[in-house]
This record gives sequence, structure tokens and C-alpha cells, in this order.
Amino acid sequence: MFRRNRSKGNYAYTVARVKAKKSLLLKEEDYDKMLMMTVPEISRYISEAGYNKEMTDLAGRMSGINLLEHATHLNMAKVFSSILLSSTGELYEMVSAYLDKWDVWNLKVILRGKSYGLDAEDIREDLVPAGRLSAESLDKLIALDTDDDILASFGKTTHVSFPPEVLATYKAGGNLGVIEDFLEKVHYERLIGSIDRSSRPSHLFYDYIREEVDMKNFETILKLKAEGVYGEQVMKYIISGGRKIDDRMLATMANAEDIGSMMSEVAQLEFGEAVKEALESNNLREAVLSIRKYGRQKARKFSRLYPLSVIPVIDYMINKEYEVRNIRAVARGTESGLDRETIKGLLVI
Amino acid sequence: MGTQDITPTRSVLLDLKKKIKLSQSGYKIMKMKRDGLIIEFFEVLEKAKKMRKGVSSDYEAAMEKITIARAVEGEIAVKSAAYALKTEPEVKLGSKNIMGMMVPKVEATSIHTKMTDKGYGVIDTSAYIEEAAMAFEKLLDTLVRAAEVETTMKKLLDEIEKTKRRVNALEFKIIPELKEAESFVRFRLEEMERENTTRLKHLKKKGEAAE
Repeated sequence: MFRRNRSKGNYAYTVARVKAKKSLLLKEEDYDKMLMMTVPEISRYISEAGYNKEMTDLAGRMSGINLLEHATHLNMAKVFSSILLSSTGELYEMVSAYLDKWDVWNLKVILRGKSYGLDAEDIREDLVPAGRLSAESLDKLIALDTDDDILASFGKTTHVSFPPEVLATYKAGGNLGVIEDFLEKVHYERLIGSIDRSSRPSHLFYDYIREEVDMKNFETILKLKAEGVYGEQVMKYIISGGRKIDDRMLATMANAEDIGSMMSEVAQLEFGEAVKEALESNNLREAVLSIRKYGRQKARKFSRLYPLSVIPVIDYMINKEYEVRNIRAVARGTESGLDRETIKGLLVI
Repeated sequence: MGTQDITPTRSVLLDLKKKIKLSQSGYKIMKMKRDGLIIEFFEVLEKAKKMRKGVSSDYEAAMEKITIARAVEGEIAVKSAAYALKTEPEVKLGSKNIMGMMVPKVEATSIHTKMTDKGYGVIDTSAYIEEAAMAFEKLLDTLVRAAEVETTMKKLLDEIEKTKRRVNALEFKIIPELKEAESFVRFRLEEMERENTTRLKHLKKKGEAAE
């Protein structure tokens, strides 16, 4: 979303940093161990695995599973911010464009919290300042009185201009979804636009993001199909710029009456094989999980190809995000009494 | 009704006969009503049993889905999605008549809202959260219907109890008392008639002796 002078970027330094950080990430066997633990034991285990400072910082205000969830988010936010701050040139542009999704996430949390009537402290607690906007900038957004002011200020800081029709639809019905979906589309459009495809690694990153768009669009189609929404209505929520799913395929899938009648299109997708079984059993959650697992496998595959490029940086961020998600899944699952096999099935390793 | 309070006259006897007839037909109707209510109650009981099963299975499904959504997407994402919701479920209250008894008719409107109208974005809201939301909408719908059936069942029970008391009162108190009063009046009247006859015979004898 932001412009800086395009210089090559400090790949060597940033990659060296993320490689050192990547070696500290939890491995599959760590999750196996955590599956045998109680929530306090998991908290202690992750404290020893790099989350100690955040756990200690938040321990005065929170406890148990909430402490664990907020501490892992805070740690991720700090790690991402430090990577962003240490990168320069085109690398900075790509990383910041990738992390813009957290700014969008935080704006959503603020708008939703405000519309519900939460106080500033409660909203602040749920923020994950992992993007370009610092905790102070987000505080300023929370302090604003109306949604109009918040959107105007966010738009000014991130150079996003909200189209009048989007604002008018939001004002007419008060449905924040219009704003949220618009921001998601803008995020991917800008991320794709920020990648300079002149080099092979950047081109790989470009393809990866476009495939992520395909996965998002596919997930959107599945979600809406489960609600009985078809055709043109579905197309409103499609992000442009996908890799394999073109307009024709999108239209066919959007118009399909059920999942069974779009299986020939699914078979043409790279992740088609991964989701086939879940789709055949009409299990939406399983399909989404399979797509996520496929996405992570894909990122892992290309992460080793170009050591001095944006790829290892993005790969680390993807892995870190999944680490946080996996820790949370194990802890929440354990706390709720889910059996180990179910929890393990929820992990994206 | 104490027999000592009754004036044994023919009009009272006629009145008592009328009352007995009325009470007996009332008793028959009440008994039919009681039996009807009991049949109705058993039908509603079956429905209520099914509803209770439905409520507990829907509750389990909803809790499982929200637990998984919280585990996969996190408490923050689930809470935040809940804050964004714009629609509130509405419940319409009406009434219907079962054998002269008014029972509530509860109708839920706008419980299920399409994802596109919920208030959060479609693109980034996870399928886990949406599935959990749908499961809770289903649970709420079942709960509203269960509330109608349960209230109907409770009202039916109250009405059956009331009707049973009335039937018993008619069968074991009012009708026997009226019958007792009727026989008292009848015996008294017969007695009076016999006395009258005897008196007349005496008078006739006296008259004949005087002649």
C-alpha cells in the first residue's frame, strides 16, 4: 500500500535474520509433545520456546488460554514488525504489501468493536499490530469518534480511497462486510501490483500470491454455495488476479448448483487433488483445512529455491503465522476437551 | 349442601332434578374434555421428547463447531465476528386454541441470515466461523420451537389437573350431594303425603262419627 524508492533491498541481511528465526520455530515433534500437556504446561513450554517476554508482559492482565493466545499474537506482531523495519528497498515494499493484511485485520477489529460499543481498552486488547500501522497509529484510530473518521484516517494513512458506492452501501445498511470485502480485494490487488516480476524469485512469489488468490476465491465459492448463494451474487466477492481460476472457470463454479457439479473444474486446479475427498464428502471445514495444508506445502516447496530473495522471508512469515495458529489450536482444543486426534487434524504442519 | 338447609317442596325437587341433570351432562363433558386433553398431552409429549433430543443434538453440534472455530481461528476472530453481526433474531408471539385452552404460538423470524447480510466480510471470514454461526442459528430455531411445545405441554398439564379436579368434584361431591338432597326431598314429600293421607282419614272418621 505504501511507496518507497525502489532499490534492490537488503536481502542478505534480512534473509540471514529470518533463517536464524526459522530455526527456532516449533517442529512437528513439539506439537506432538504439546498434545500430551495441559494448558499451563503448554504455556510453560512455549515460554521456553521464545514466547517468554510476551507471556510475562501480559501475565498481569490475563491468564490461562487467553494469555497464551494474546501472547502468541503479540510475539508474532513484534517479529513481523522487526522484519519489516529491517528490510529496505523492493524487499520492504513486498513485505509491507504482504503484511498489509494485518492492517486490514486491525481496522476490522476496530470497526466491529466500535459498532458493538466496546471501550478502547477492549478493542486494543484484540489488535495484532503486525502490519505497517504501529500500535500508536492504531490507538489514534480507536480514539476517533465515528466510522467515517476512522475510514478517512485509515484511507489517508494507507492511501486507500473508498469508492463512494461502497461507502453508500455501508451507510445504507450498516453492513461492515461491504467495507471488509473491499479492503480484502484492495489488499490482494496491491500485493500483486507491488511485486516486481523481473527476477525469477519475485516471479515465484507473484505466482504464489496469485495461487493464494485462487484459494481464497475457491473458499469463498464453497462458503457461499453452502449458503445457497449462486451466480452473479458470488462474483461480487471474487478477488481478481488469480492464477489458474480464470473468469470462465469462476463463472462456471459460481453458477454450479452444488459442489458435485463443479468437480470437473476442481480437477483442473493445482489443489484439486488435495480437496477432492473433502468435497466429495461435502465437508466444508475439511476442504478449507486441506487448502490451507496445500498452501503451506507449496510455500515450503519453493522456500529453498532462491536463498537470497523475498521467498525465504515470506516463507518464514507463513510458518510463523501457522505456528501461532497451531499453538492456539492445541491449547484451545486441550482446554475444550477435544480428543488428541481431532486436535492433530486441525494443525497445519 | 346440607340436607337440613333444604326446604322439601315440589319446586325444590324439580329444581334439584334439573341441577342433577345439568351436573351429569357437565360431568360427561368435563370427562370427555379431560380424556381429550390427555390424548392431546401425549401427542405433545412425543413432540416435546423429539424437540428435547433435537435441542441437545443441535447444542452439541453447535458447541463442537464453536470449539473448533475458536481453536482454529482464535477467540479474537470469533469474538470479532460476533461483534460485527447486524441482525437480531425476532420472536413473534401468538396464541392458538386447544379445547378451549389458549396456548402460545411462538414463531421465530430472521433467525437465519445469509452470510452476505450478516455484517462481516465474506472473503476473509473463515468457513469455521460461518459454520459455527449457522449451527447456533439452527440451535436457536430449535429452541424457539421447543419453547412453544414445552409451554403447550405445561399448560396442558395444568388444564388436565384443573379438569380432573372438576370431574372429581362433580363425580364425588356435587352429584352425590344433589342426589342425596333429591332423595331427602322426595322422602320428605312422600312422608308429608302419607301424613296428609292419615290426617284426612282421621278427619273423615271424625266427620262420620259426628254424623
